[in-house]
Amino acid sequence: MVGAAFQEVLLQPLGIYVIALGVGFLIPLFDRAHRGSAILVFLAALAYMAGIAGANLLAIINGAPPIDIETAGIAPPFSINLRFGLFEGGIVFAVNTAAILAAWHYLPALKQHASALLLYLILVMGINGMVMTRDLFNLFIFIEITSIATYALIGMERTGGVLAAGFKYIIATSTASAFFLLGTIFIYYQTGTLNIDDIIAHRELITGPVGLVATLFVLTSLLIELKPYPANGWGLDVYETAHSGIASLISVGVSAGVFFALYKLLPLMDAYLPSIALIGGVTFLFSNLIGLKQDNAKRLLGYSSIGQMGLLTLALALLQQLDATAQQLSLVIGGLFINHLLAKAGLFWLAGSVGREAIRDWSVIATRPLLLLLLAILMAALIGLPPFPGFWAKWELVMLLGAGGQYAWIALILAGSLLEAAYLFRWFSLARQGDATQAIAGAGFRQSAPVIVAALLLFGSGYGVATMMDLAVAPLFLPLLAGLLLWLLDGLHGRPKDLLMLVIVTAGGYWLTHDLAGINRLFSVLLIGGGLLISIAALYRSDSRKGFYPLLAVLLLSLATLLRAQTTLEFFFSWELMTLSSYLLVTLGRQGVMPGLKYLLFSLGSAYFILAGFAVAYATTGSILLADLGGSGNATGVVFSLLAAGFIIKTGGFGVHIWLPDAYAEADDDFTAIMSAVVSKAGIFGLLIIAAHLGVRADIGLDPAYVLGWIGILTATFGALMAVFQEDLKRLVAYSSMGQLGYIVTGIALMNHLGWVTALYMTVNHFLFKGILFLSVAGIVLRTNQRLMYKMGGLIKNMPFTFVFTMIAIIAMSGVPPLTGFGGKWMLFNALMEKGWYWIAALAFFSSAVAFLYMFRLLQTVFLGQRKLEHAKLREAPAILLVPQGIMIACIMVISAWPKLLLDPLSAAVSPWLGGALAWDGFALQTHFGYWNAPLIMAVVAGVWMVPLIMLLLISLTLKIQRVEQFNIVYAAERPHRPEDTHFAYHFFAHYDRAIGFLVRPRATAFWDTAVEWGYSLGAALRIFYNGNGQTYALFILMYFVAMFLVNGGMLL
Amino acid sequence: MILEWLGKVGNFSLTMLIVTLYGLLVGAFIERVIAKVQGRIGIPYSQPFINILKNFFKRTAVSHGYMFYLGPVFRIAGGIGTLAFIPVIYGSEMFSNFSMAGDLFLVIYFMFFGQLGMALGAGESGHPYSAIGIARGLSQMTAYEVPFALAVIAIVIQYDTLSITEIVAAQQGGWQHWTLFTNWVATLAAMLAFLGMTGYSPFDIFLAPQEIPIGPPTEFHSAYLSLLQTNRALFGATKLILFMNLFFGGATGWIELMIKTLLIYMVAIVVGVAFPRFRVDQGIRFFFKIPTLIGIMSIIYVQLVLIS
Repeated sequence: MVGAAFQEVLLQPLGIYVIALGVGFLIPLFDRAHRGSAILVFLAALAYMAGIAGANLLAIINGAPPIDIETAGIAPPFSINLRFGLFEGGIVFAVNTAAILAAWHYLPALKQHASALLLYLILVMGINGMVMTRDLFNLFIFIEITSIATYALIGMERTGGVLAAGFKYIIATSTASAFFLLGTIFIYYQTGTLNIDDIIAHRELITGPVGLVATLFVLTSLLIELKPYPANGWGLDVYETAHSGIASLISVGVSAGVFFALYKLLPLMDAYLPSIALIGGVTFLFSNLIGLKQDNAKRLLGYSSIGQMGLLTLALALLQQLDATAQQLSLVIGGLFINHLLAKAGLFWLAGSVGREAIRDWSVIATRPLLLLLLAILMAALIGLPPFPGFWAKWELVMLLGAGGQYAWIALILAGSLLEAAYLFRWFSLARQGDATQAIAGAGFRQSAPVIVAALLLFGSGYGVATMMDLAVAPLFLPLLAGLLLWLLDGLHGRPKDLLMLVIVTAGGYWLTHDLAGINRLFSVLLIGGGLLISIAALYRSDSRKGFYPLLAVLLLSLATLLRAQTTLEFFFSWELMTLSSYLLVTLGRQGVMPGLKYLLFSLGSAYFILAGFAVAYATTGSILLADLGGSGNATGVVFSLLAAGFIIKTGGFGVHIWLPDAYAEADDDFTAIMSAVVSKAGIFGLLIIAAHLGVRADIGLDPAYVLGWIGILTATFGALMAVFQEDLKRLVAYSSMGQLGYIVTGIALMNHLGWVTALYMTVNHFLFKGILFLSVAGIVLRTNQRLMYKMGGLIKNMPFTFVFTMIAIIAMSGVPPLTGFGGKWMLFNALMEKGWYWIAALAFFSSAVAFLYMFRLLQTVFLGQRKLEHAKLREAPAILLVPQGIMIACIMVISAWPKLLLDPLSAAVSPWLGGALAWDGFALQTHFGYWNAPLIMAVVAGVWMVPLIMLLLISLTLKIQRVEQFNIVYAAERPHRPEDTHFAYHFFAHYDRAIGFLVRPRATAFWDTAVEWGYSLGAALRIFYNGNGQTYALFILMYFVAMFLVNGGMLL
Repeated sequence: MILEWLGKVGNFSLTMLIVTLYGLLVGAFIERVIAKVQGRIGIPYSQPFINILKNFFKRTAVSHGYMFYLGPVFRIAGGIGTLAFIPVIYGSEMFSNFSMAGDLFLVIYFMFFGQLGMALGAGESGHPYSAIGIARGLSQMTAYEVPFALAVIAIVIQYDTLSITEIVAAQQGGWQHWTLFTNWVATLAAMLAFLGMTGYSPFDIFLAPQEIPIGPPTEFHSAYLSLLQTNRALFGATKLILFMNLFFGGATGWIELMIKTLLIYMVAIVVGVAFPRFRVDQGIRFFFKIPTLIGIMSIIYVQLVLIS
């Protein structure tokens, strides 16, 4: 009894204030005794405050009622009361935890002055007060307390920049507070009470000009404290110059308090919700635009921070307008808030530890894998990638906005997110590039500890939010678990890790996909099975490849979860996880960092289109099941277009393909094989899914499908044309890959049985061809250490197996009978003719012909022609690279001779969606126009090939055949003796370039470069408000009040 | 069953023999005609045969590697194979070869088989001129395939089939049923493409026959060269037979076949002797302009005039 009562007293929320004030007063005394004891007491107090918050929060989650704390022994509204409910508890616990971690980070600076410890405690108490108080004037007091503590802590540094920023901060927040007080006074005048609940209950008393002005004063001052655009220059200066410890607390703690104060008073602001939303949205978008060119790390974080708070404000206002439930509100706002808290604070602490001002200088951490990993995790969380809380929150927000018809806001939010991703990952890319191992003061484990805790908490809260949403979390989180397991074992040698990864992915992949059927099953065999086959080839590298195997496991297993997704949420989760892991894998290549950034941004753009499409579908169908996509009614065209746009970007469609050649060329060679053969199929799978669910019915106009068909064939044509002129081996095969995917897209666009069977057949073929090609390229690059084709030549003598495999793959890919590519081309042509798409058929024919050019170029310049003298002793590629190629060649041969083996399962998989079947006449496939008898063709070709061969062999028995050396060719005048002037390889198609090269000038690149330039210019234009002058900032704040007044009805008074 | 297939093989061998001999004869005949135009006497009719046999019976050879060795094999396999998939004489089971294996599309794509293999073989010789010739030849090929593909699409729409036998069947019943007269636009486009296909002037840059030996056959000799020369006759005749089947009503007998193909060939020769050679980029650009336009019009023509 006594114990319980004691516990009740000790854990009372009021204890937060008691402890903070009490310990605060006592710190100078402890300090006199011993500085260390003061620090100890300080930390203990913070821990205790967090503990109180946590304990009470736990109680409330388990069903206890919200705690109302009365003071002065009198009931409100005649006294001040505090409330500790679910929301308050959550925020307070989060902020206090963050405060402990920030204190740990800030300690070296804090402990210089005992008063700093005291101020810190007061600051935290002030934030707690802002959150818990239910009295308007008390709120003002706590705002002031927080502000004063903040000023003092900012000014602790005594350097010019910090003091100036601190002074601007004082001006701004004091102005805002003054207006808050004025508003409070007038509200009290009208309602006669200062208790918030009472005011809300009697809000009809707040009328007339006085009421309008009072409410606007209170609202605007709170908004000003949240640093809206353009009156936020002062905030940015503080973020840039202040110590990262206090900056992090301002960013997450003070903002949290002000934000919750706004939430508390929101019932009074119903008429101004549109203004609030607009302010939040504009702040979010514009901050992120301006941040694009920012070079100072902390200022960049400032822009991000301001932007995030803008997003939170926007979300709050919109959800309020849409009458969201408390659970939805807590999911969205809570999720975004936790995300922002942990990630932003973590980034500030990291910035403080690394201590480099310019983001370019962050290349010092390029050789510190832990710091890089933390940077990546925090940034990924910030932009809303899975599995972090921000992902779930953003999803829920977009779905709710979609259901409410707020499409413009969705577009704004997604655009802003993309911009934020751009500048954050630009920073990450700069940090990745560098090989100097300079010492970083204060980046030891002790200093990284708060950041590590923040990262762990992000994962934990992400998992927590997922469970809160009633999802099947186990399959979704399995890829991450696998990645974690492999990451823990990352210290092993490379080859055991590869084997371990193969085992884990096989087991995990089987568990995830063994019960799939139809098209999903087909893709699971292709993607997981195929991915494993190609990953075997990764054994050719003996180096340890840190990070490669965990990420590869995450990638392959996230593809598995993609295939088994039943809801759009699961689909999107897997999609983004796949994007993130493949991006990080691309950056592991030697020069892969900047191409990786392009890849990431285009992939995120694609993901956001997909999200938008899902939102529109949810708006019309009310369901997040993939199977219900078809019920979109009038919006089907819009949904299809949005989703198709997303998937087209992923497959590298014409116009949005510029990321593809660089990413493929610069990634690790075996990973390029996986990207091309496996990951690109995700986009194809997506297109099939949406076509299946959205486009199957005959009454839906098929215009989007026709456009899709054209996009596909243009991709094929221009991909082939661009490949023709490449000098770099990997870029050539990359463009080829892009082109081949174009055919598949056209096949899907046909929306008939034959078209889909063709698309699936070509998908399998593409996997085989590109798997073989990229693996052989890996072998060539390994041996020659070279990617430019004109620097090779004559390798057929050194690498016969590689040559034969490449040749068979190329002959098959070009569509020459009897190998499998021909079947694909034949079926595509027939399907196009049946559909009446004659022009597309003509272009398909043309691009097939063009494909011959680059295929021959590859073989000629690398394997044939004259060998370079230094390559005389080159060895064949390692056997482990050849084995998967051999297996794939065998598959090609089997399918060439007996395509029915593959076509029947494909047709069976397609028939549930698009009725019909393939017409077989014995071994011959029949269509409306023609027929194709593959086994007979194979037999005939084998015959007509064997007979001359045997003849020639017989004749050779009678011939005296002389094997000659290199350069023994017919010549006139100069005797050829140097490979460099005898091997025709450079600018191989110069004449073709002169004839039609104008078609493939880099126009898409120019377009996107211009778009980026416009973004920069727009950001620069928006920056004009930040002139650094405190007086100007004060003026802006005053003008803000005036503007709010005028916009919200002041003119009508 | 086995007997049936052996019979087919035997019939096909006969076809092949006739076509090869005919091709060589036609080659000689054309050379004599060109010689007359140029004021010379020209080669005897036996010359092509003697060439092949002479090369065949040479007792020494040089090899640059196994791909070089296989190059001519691929080439002639391409020639024989293309013939194998074309029904030569309409109405004759004996001379329809293996056309039940695949349709027109197969034939068009199989024509690349020989070219590709040959290109690889020539490439291994290490001679830069082989590579240059192949690069030019392939580039030109992509260009002249465009009007040809458009013309093929047009006649596929017109006859609603890809089967060569059925296309020929639809052209029976008098000369006015030939595609030449029912769809002259497509025929015109195809014949313009044919000029590129034959490799005569003005599109013979990739071989440059009158100058230094350049192009794919540069390094080939002995038995290799004899295979290539045989293939030139065989493949040339095969292309003529294909065009005859598609655009000129096919043939119901060998004499009709020989007359028609000779006349088709004369078109290319007449143009060839009259015109000088294009540069390769001029040649490429040529096909993308008027012939492609005619090809596009042929499809529009079919859709507007014939079907409706």
